[in-house]
Amino acid sequence: MSQVNGAGSPRLIDVQDVTRVFHVGGEEVRALRGVSFGISRGEWVAIIGQSGSGKSTLMNVLGCLDTPSSGRYMLNNKDVSHMTDDELAVVRNEEIGFIFQTFQLLPKETALSNVELPLVYRGMRAKERRERARAALAKVHLEHRMHHRPNELSGGQRQRVAIARALVAEPSMLLADEPTGNLDSATGEEIVRLFEELHRAGNTLVLVTHEPKLAARCPRAIRLSDGEIVADGPGRQVALGDLHAPPAQAAGGS
Amino acid sequence: MFQRFQANLLAMADNLRLAMGTFLGNPLRTLLTLLGIVIGVTTVIVMMALIEGLRLKVNNDLSQLGANTFEVSKWPSGFGRVNWRMYARRKNLTLEDMRAIQEFCPSVGVVSASDTSGGQKISSSTIETRPGVQVTGATSEYINTSGITVAAGRFFSPVEAVDGRQVAVVGLDVADTLFPGMEPLGQQLRIKGRPFTVVGVLQRRGSFLGMVSMDNVLIVPMRSYEMVYGEVDSVEVAVQAREPELLDKAKEEVTNLMRRRRDVAPLAPNDFEVHTNESMTQTFNSLSQVITIASFGVCLLSLIVGGIGILNIMLVSVTERTKEIGIRKALGARRFRILAQFATEAVMMSLLGGAIGVGLGFGLAFLSRWVLGFNTVVPGWAVVLSLVMSSGVGLVFGIYPAARAARLDPVEAMRSE
Ligand SMILES: Nc1ncnc2c1ncn2[C@@H]1O[C@H](COP(=O)(O)OP(=O)(O)O)[C@@H](O)[C@H]1O
Ligand SMILES: [Mg+2]
Repeated sequence: MSQVNGAGSPRLIDVQDVTRVFHVGGEEVRALRGVSFGISRGEWVAIIGQSGSGKSTLMNVLGCLDTPSSGRYMLNNKDVSHMTDDELAVVRNEEIGFIFQTFQLLPKETALSNVELPLVYRGMRAKERRERARAALAKVHLEHRMHHRPNELSGGQRQRVAIARALVAEPSMLLADEPTGNLDSATGEEIVRLFEELHRAGNTLVLVTHEPKLAARCPRAIRLSDGEIVADGPGRQVALGDLHAPPAQAAGGS
Repeated sequence: MFQRFQANLLAMADNLRLAMGTFLGNPLRTLLTLLGIVIGVTTVIVMMALIEGLRLKVNNDLSQLGANTFEVSKWPSGFGRVNWRMYARRKNLTLEDMRAIQEFCPSVGVVSASDTSGGQKISSSTIETRPGVQVTGATSEYINTSGITVAAGRFFSPVEAVDGRQVAVVGLDVADTLFPGMEPLGQQLRIKGRPFTVVGVLQRRGSFLGMVSMDNVLIVPMRSYEMVYGEVDSVEVAVQAREPELLDKAKEEVTNLMRRRRDVAPLAPNDFEVHTNESMTQTFNSLSQVITIASFGVCLLSLIVGGIGILNIMLVSVTERTKEIGIRKALGARRFRILAQFATEAVMMSLLGGAIGVGLGFGLAFLSRWVLGFNTVVPGWAVVLSLVMSSGVGLVFGIYPAARAARLDPVEAMRSE
């Protein structure tokens, strides 16, 4: 496995002047209007902004589910801006762990099989797959539920299965889009604690949220407005306007 | 290289595991969709079982004629007389021809002559059969050339034949109808009002295609036959070579003799037919080939109908499972992998239809033994070909929906519900 450990550049993500333009019935919708920033390994960054500000679009580009209309996106020293569908699939499989608002689990498969899925597309043998999936479920404290299907699990448990699935292939970063959006506040809090744990363990996390309170708990936050970055700094400062917040720990910002 | 191969194997195993997805999602709908394929394959299996069974039976029946026997006739063998008039104009074969063959062909052992009238009514003093009895007039040598066996009593003797005695050898159907629960030997029956005495009963021969009983027959001396039906136009001459090895020689001698007797010009074709086991088998085989091709045609049609069903159900399945496809692609499934997953599924489904068809075909073929009265045999190649054809249909009709699935955009696909 090629765990390129950013030898050349310290930055895991390097986004330069990225735009994304949608064409809707002859009209241009400019969802991203030239954003530039970097994210280093081990950082926990929140992306905030109002609805329609371009958060999901940015998240899709960062997750290699979409490519920029212009600009350059370097992920782990690879230029992924112009990759084909299949090349992007490989990058997603190796570099990114997704955590979605609506979990996106396969309803007919057990928790264990769901967690195995990224490893299936890496061509790993069933036995090794199962062991790794079990270990990942243990990390999110769900080992006892691994043979349950999603509909037999609570919302919080489902999201933890999704997190285990994101972790299992040891990606370069975790990308979470409103991961607490479909959960009650107590369960949401559980998930946020889990993120804090993962952050402490050295994972790189990018969290898209519209909740300022959640963003405030992240060391760094980027605020989008109308497809542009309007603020980039310590979470509390960007999210709550708190000027006395401690500075972001890594060199981010444009 | 090896790793790549191993990865492909793993992917294939995973796809096979997933292949029943559509089926398990809605088994009844899937089975209904597969009906076309099932019907097509069932048809082919049953037809092939019938033909193969019939072929074995015909070969067996024909070989009962004796390996060293052939027939000389004015008429071509086979099923349906094509160009009847052309053959009708030919000179008749007579008892003189038969005697000449006996006399002048050294390789020939026994020769018989016969003529048959179908659809006859036979009566006893109290009972009349339905008009379906085959009455054959024959010389006494017929017993040696025709492959029949007398089960009780005897065949008529040369003296009885020459004298034109009113004696009859009957098939079991005739005996059972006319003399129920009675000993048929010694009984009287009437053909067109003329009285005959039963001197022998034939061994059971079963039926042809389950429809025409070969036991609904009656054999009388040629001269008595002519007293009932009038003089025979053209007899069928059955010739037995003295030894099996002399068959070809006997055929040659008979052919030359007949050409001379019938004044056939040196380079002109024969104006008579020589039927051997082989030529009869060939006729049957060419017929069965036609049936084989026809039933594969029927099968192909139903397979295409079934294929359209597969196309439809796979399109529905791809739509229903768009979200799943989106998730798989987001997590790193490449296009080909998704394509292969759905193509495998289509192939497995149509293969399932094919397998059901094969099973049903075996069942029907087995049941039809009782109806038809001969053993049906499902040939192995028909099973293999049906399965190959149905999986081929799955691949052809499943590839388009699979390609559609493979091209889905993961973000949009995950958004669908
Ligand atoms: N696939 C798409 N086609 C057309 N317009 C889109 C598409 N995705 C997003 N947009 C538009 O881009 C803008 C940003 O959307 P989005 O990134 O979803 O914002 P957010 O996630 O912050 O709510 C919106 O105006 C949205 O309508
Ligand atoms: Mg959004």
